[in-house]
Amino acid sequence: MRQFVKGNPDLCIGCRTCMIGCVVEHEGRRIFEIDPDGYDFNPKLHMVKTAKISVPVQCKHCENPACLAACPVKCIKVINDAVVIDQKTCIGCKSCMQACPFGVIDMISQVGTSQADGSRRVVANKCDLCVGTGNGPACVRVCPTEALTLVSEDVMKESIQRRRTETAKAAKDIADALAAEV
Amino acid sequence: MADKMSCYVLADPNKCTGCKACELACFAEHNKKTNDVGYTVGTVTVQVTPKLYLTRTETYCMPIQCKHCEDAPCLNACKKHAIYRDENGQVIVDEEKCIGCKDCVMACPFGAISILPLSRKGAPLLQKDREVVKAASKCDLCKGIEGGPTCVRVCPNEALRLVDMNEEQLNKSIKTAQSLYDSRLS
Repeated sequence: MRQFVKGNPDLCIGCRTCMIGCVVEHEGRRIFEIDPDGYDFNPKLHMVKTAKISVPVQCKHCENPACLAACPVKCIKVINDAVVIDQKTCIGCKSCMQACPFGVIDMISQVGTSQADGSRRVVANKCDLCVGTGNGPACVRVCPTEALTLVSEDVMKESIQRRRTETAKAAKDIADALAAEV
Repeated sequence: MADKMSCYVLADPNKCTGCKACELACFAEHNKKTNDVGYTVGTVTVQVTPKLYLTRTETYCMPIQCKHCEDAPCLNACKKHAIYRDENGQVIVDEEKCIGCKDCVMACPFGAISILPLSRKGAPLLQKDREVVKAASKCDLCKGIEGGPTCVRVCPNEALRLVDMNEEQLNKSIKTAQSLYDSRLS
């Protein structure tokens, strides 16, 4: 099973440090040095705030990604077990956005690029688990309240096994209690 | 109370010996048509993917399978609507629709769901990018298979049974009523 980053709405305070950490990891420290109004801030996860909840949402790195299947130019690939968009070949058709049931893909205008009409290229953007950086997901590292965790295959398997053992234990207790009655 | 509650298979840890006959039979029964799996080892060319999972502790073991919850957390968690309730109230995964997002796995409190690879015609089913298609795998009570749940049929120790809570509850409540009646003068 592919790993993914999961937010905990009970711990998240909505500070958006994860979004900044994401941008710094992918674009460098440039963000701290330039005019905020002249900068395109394009994190690969985004904060959702409702009246009751604040939590960042990001890609689940599905086993059979709907985005990957929907992409007509095959620019979504699995790299190191992460589902990654190749923004160089993306044509911005929004098919992946439409296919994704989680709303975790954005369209962003890319700094320093231009199309035939002179306007900037607009491409799909989503969590890539910071693949290739060697540091693991930046959002997880920078979150001050530890509201984000990287759910690895081992963590998932262990969690499933724990639940199975608990289920077996409960069944055993009931079976023993019923046997004692007879 | 619900009109009719869904059924489920339950194992008795005091009878189970952990032989995994249930897991194998489950896999074989579900892959007969799709992967030509027969009754001998030689017919198995794909990964064995059961829909119930033998679980061992230090002192006992039993297979864990879906409870077909009435307000199913997996069904409620699935954003692709790939988990549905069929006409009998059973909770079923539509493997065609499943994108393997793992939300159902995380939602199930029993650990009854695993994400496992799919195979067709004796070979792994591949996606557009040649990766293997995986889907949530959980008990479907042998939907569409004659004779009902295979695991129940094959268990050599009769450790598995199909629970129909509608009937069990009725029988229990009748017994309770009977004992109230029997003890009313004493």
